[in-house]
Amino acid sequence: MSKPKITDTLDFPSDLNITKSLFGVGTVGLLATGVGYFLDHDQFFFSYLVSFSFFSSIALGSLFFVMVQHLTRSEWSAVLRRIPETFSSYFWIWGLFIIPLLFGMHSLYHWTHADAVAADPVLQGKEPYLNTTFFIIRQVIYFALWSFLGYRLYSKSVEMDETGDWGLQTLLRRTSGPGLFFFAITLAFASFDWIMSLDPHWYSTIFGVYYFAMSFQGLFAVLILVIFFLWNNNLLTNTIQKSHIYDLGVQMFGFTVFYAYIAFSQFLLIYYANIPEETVWYLERLSGGYEYLAWFYLFGRFVIPFVILLPKGPKSKPKVVGSVAVLILVSHLVELYWLVMPVLNHHGFHLNWMTITSFIGLGGIFLGLFFYKFKQNKMVPINDPKLGDSLNKH
Amino acid sequence: MSTDYQYVPEPALVKGDHSFGSITDLIAKTPLSPTPKLWYLAFGLANILLITLLGAIGYLIWDGIGIWGLNNPAGWGWAIINFVWWVGIGHAGTLISAILFLFRQGWRTAINRFAEAMTIFAVMCAGIFPAIHVGRIWVIYWVFPIPNQMAAWPNFSSPLLWDVFAVSTYFTVSLLFWYVGLIPDFATLRDKTKSKVAKITYGIASLGWTGSFRNWWNYEKAYMILAGLATPLVLSVHTIVSFDFAVSVIPGWHSTIFPPYFVAGAIYSGFAMVLTLMLIARKIYGLEDIMNIDIMEKMNLVMMITGNLVAFAYLMEGFIAWYSGYIYEQGIFWLYVVGPYAWGFWILMFCNVVTPQFLWFKKIRRNVAITFVISIIVNIGMWFERFMISVASLSTDFMPSAWDYYSPTFWDIITYIGTFGLFFTFFLLFLRFMPMVAIAEVKGVMPQADPHNYDEETNEFDIEKTKPVVVQQEQTV
Repeated sequence: MSKPKITDTLDFPSDLNITKSLFGVGTVGLLATGVGYFLDHDQFFFSYLVSFSFFSSIALGSLFFVMVQHLTRSEWSAVLRRIPETFSSYFWIWGLFIIPLLFGMHSLYHWTHADAVAADPVLQGKEPYLNTTFFIIRQVIYFALWSFLGYRLYSKSVEMDETGDWGLQTLLRRTSGPGLFFFAITLAFASFDWIMSLDPHWYSTIFGVYYFAMSFQGLFAVLILVIFFLWNNNLLTNTIQKSHIYDLGVQMFGFTVFYAYIAFSQFLLIYYANIPEETVWYLERLSGGYEYLAWFYLFGRFVIPFVILLPKGPKSKPKVVGSVAVLILVSHLVELYWLVMPVLNHHGFHLNWMTITSFIGLGGIFLGLFFYKFKQNKMVPINDPKLGDSLNKH
Repeated sequence: MSTDYQYVPEPALVKGDHSFGSITDLIAKTPLSPTPKLWYLAFGLANILLITLLGAIGYLIWDGIGIWGLNNPAGWGWAIINFVWWVGIGHAGTLISAILFLFRQGWRTAINRFAEAMTIFAVMCAGIFPAIHVGRIWVIYWVFPIPNQMAAWPNFSSPLLWDVFAVSTYFTVSLLFWYVGLIPDFATLRDKTKSKVAKITYGIASLGWTGSFRNWWNYEKAYMILAGLATPLVLSVHTIVSFDFAVSVIPGWHSTIFPPYFVAGAIYSGFAMVLTLMLIARKIYGLEDIMNIDIMEKMNLVMMITGNLVAFAYLMEGFIAWYSGYIYEQGIFWLYVVGPYAWGFWILMFCNVVTPQFLWFKKIRRNVAITFVISIIVNIGMWFERFMISVASLSTDFMPSAWDYYSPTFWDIITYIGTFGLFFTFFLLFLRFMPMVAIAEVKGVMPQADPHNYDEETNEFDIEKTKPVVVQQEQTV
C-alpha cells in the first residue's frame, strides 16, 4: 500500500482574481440597497436582515462544523476542513455588518417603540430583555465570542501547517468543547433577538434549534458548492475526492431530515395545541401569498432533497448533489424571507428588489472575505495528523 | 503555547494482545461453560421482584387504579413516569447499534449487543405501564384499530395512539436488528459447543449460517437496512412520547422544544444505564479488554453532551417561560423552583445539570468508580425529570383551589421496583445464554481485520503495520 500523497497545488492561485470581483459586486449591491434606504427605509432594514441572517447562518454553521470535527476527531473531513475554518474565521469583520441593523431597530422591532410598550403589559413584562441597550450589548457578546472561537480555530490550524506541531490538535479540541457549549447558548439567543423578537408576543422554545437546523443544513450545501467551484478551477481535484462529496452528501441528507424534524415539531405542536397567541404567527405566514413560499421551501429543502439523496448512487454524482445544494440554499433564503418579511408586509406577499440587492451585496462581501482569507494560507491543513486517513478515503 | 499539549493518537479499540481466536474464546466462554452459583443467586432475586410485579399488577386489575396515588389534578403519576423512563433507557441501545453504525463508529462494537439487549428488555418494562394504567385492562385491545361491530375506532389524532404504533414498531425493529446481529455469533456458539442440546438450539437460531461470502453479503445488507430503519424509529418514539405532553395546553407541558429535548434526555439516561450494567458485567465476566476504559470515556462524552443538551433545553424552557409573559407558564416554573415539589426540582438540577459537568474532566471520565456513581445519579435524575414534568405540572394547575399534593402509594412503589425484576430476569438470561459482545463485529474493528496490515509478500499479519503512518508531504506544482 502506498502512502497517501498530495499531488495538487495547495496554494490558491494568485491569478484567479475572484476576490476583487466579489467585493466589487458586493459594493454595488450594497450601494444599490443603500439607495433603497432613502426610498423605503423599513423595507431596507427588513431586506438587510434577511440577507444578514442568511450569511451569518453559513458562518455559524461552519463554526459548529469545525468544532464538531475536532471533538469527534474526524478523519474524513480533514481535507476540506480549511473551507469551514475560513468561513468562521472572519466573524470579527462580519460582525461589523450588523451595525446597520442596530440603526434600524426602530423599523424592525416593534418593542423599541416606547408608546407601544407603554400600552402593552406583555411587552412591559419583556422589557428587561427586549430593550435597545441590552440588545446591543448582546450582539457585542455574540460576535465577540464567535470571533474569538472562529479566529482561534482558524489560526491554530494554520499554525499547525507551519510548525507541524500535532499537540495543537489537543488545543483545538479543548477550545471546541467549551466553545460548543457557549456557541449553543449564544446562537439560540441570537436567533431570538434577530428573528423571533420581530413578533415580540410570539415565542417558541425550539426557535434556537430551528435556526441552527436551518443553518447547518445550508452549510453543507455551501461546502459542496465551494468544492465544486475549486474543482472547476482545477484545484484540489485529487485531494478532495468523490468519496468526500459522498460523505458531505450523506451529512446533507441527514441534516435535511434533522431540519425537517425540528421545523415540523415546532409547527405540529403549535398547530395541535391551537393557542391563538401562538397560531397567529403561522396564520400570518400561511396566508396572503406567503403560503406559496412555505410550500416552496417544504419541497425545496425537505421533500425533493430527501427523495433524491435517499439512495446511495446520487450522493456521489456531482451534478445531482450540486443541484440539490443550490435548491437547498434557495429554499434557505426563501424560508428566512418567510420568517422575517410577514412582519413588515402582513397584508400579503410582495417581493421587493431590495431583498435581492442586499442579498447580492452582503453575499459579495461575505464570499469576497472568504476568498480573501482562503488564499492567504494553504487550502488544506497539510500537517494535520488526520490528513493521511482523510486522503485515503475510498 | 502549543508545546504544553501532547498529541494523542487514536488508541486501539481492543486492548491486550488478542487474536481473532482469543476474542471468540473470551466471549463464547460464558454461554458455553456451566452456570455459576452467583448467577443463580442473582436470577433468584430477579425472579422474586418479577413475582412482586405480577402480584402488583394482579391486584391492580382486581381493585383498579384507585390503589395508586393518583388524585384529581394529578391524573398521571408513576405509571407514566416509569413508562417514559424505561422507554428512554431503551434509546441508548438503538443509538449505539444503529446511529453509531451509520456514523461508522468502530467503538460501538464493544457494547452494541449488550445495549441492544437492554433496549429490548427496557421497552418490555415500559410497555407494561400504558397497558395497565388504562384501568380496564381487559379491553386494552381497543387501542388497536381492529374492525369491530361497534364501529368504534381509536382516536387517530391522539399522540397516545401514535405511541402504541411507535413503541410496537420500535420494539419489533429493535428485536429484528438484535437478532440479525446475533446470527453469525449463534453459528460460532453452535460450532464451539460440545452439548447436543445447545448445538441444536444454537443451530436453529443461527438459521443455517455457514459463513460463506453470500451469507455475509446478505447479512451486511440486512444489517444496513435495519440500521437505517431503526434510526428514524428511535427518534420518532421519544418524539411521540414528548407529544403526549407537548400537544396539550398544560403549562409546563406545551413547549415546542420537547421533541429533541426528550430524545436527548432519553439517550442521556440510556447511556447511563448501559454504563451501570457494563461496568458490572466487564468485571464479572472479565471483559476489560473489550469494554475498556477508552470505550467508557467515549460513553461518558456522549453522556456529557446529551446531559448538556438537556440542560440547554431547561435553560430555553425557563427563559421562554419568563419571556412568554403568560402568567400560568411563568407560574408553573416558579412553582417548580419554590413550590411543593421544589425538592424534586433541586434533585433534578443536581443530577442532570451539575453532575454531567464533572465529565468535562478527563480524569473523571476515565475513573471507573466515579463513572459508576455518575451513571446511577443520572438515572435518578432522569426519573425525577419525568416526575417534575408529569406530577409537578399537573398538581399545581390553573386554579389554586384545585391544587392537590400527589404522593405515591405502596403499590406505585412496588410496581416500579418490580419492573426491575422483569428487566433483570431477561437480562440475566441474555448474559447466561447469548454472546454478550458481537463477536464478529469486534473482530471487524481489530487491526487484524485491515488487509493493509498484512505483509504483501509473506501474507502474515504484521503488528508494525498497524502503527500510524506519518504523512509525507510531497508537493508537485
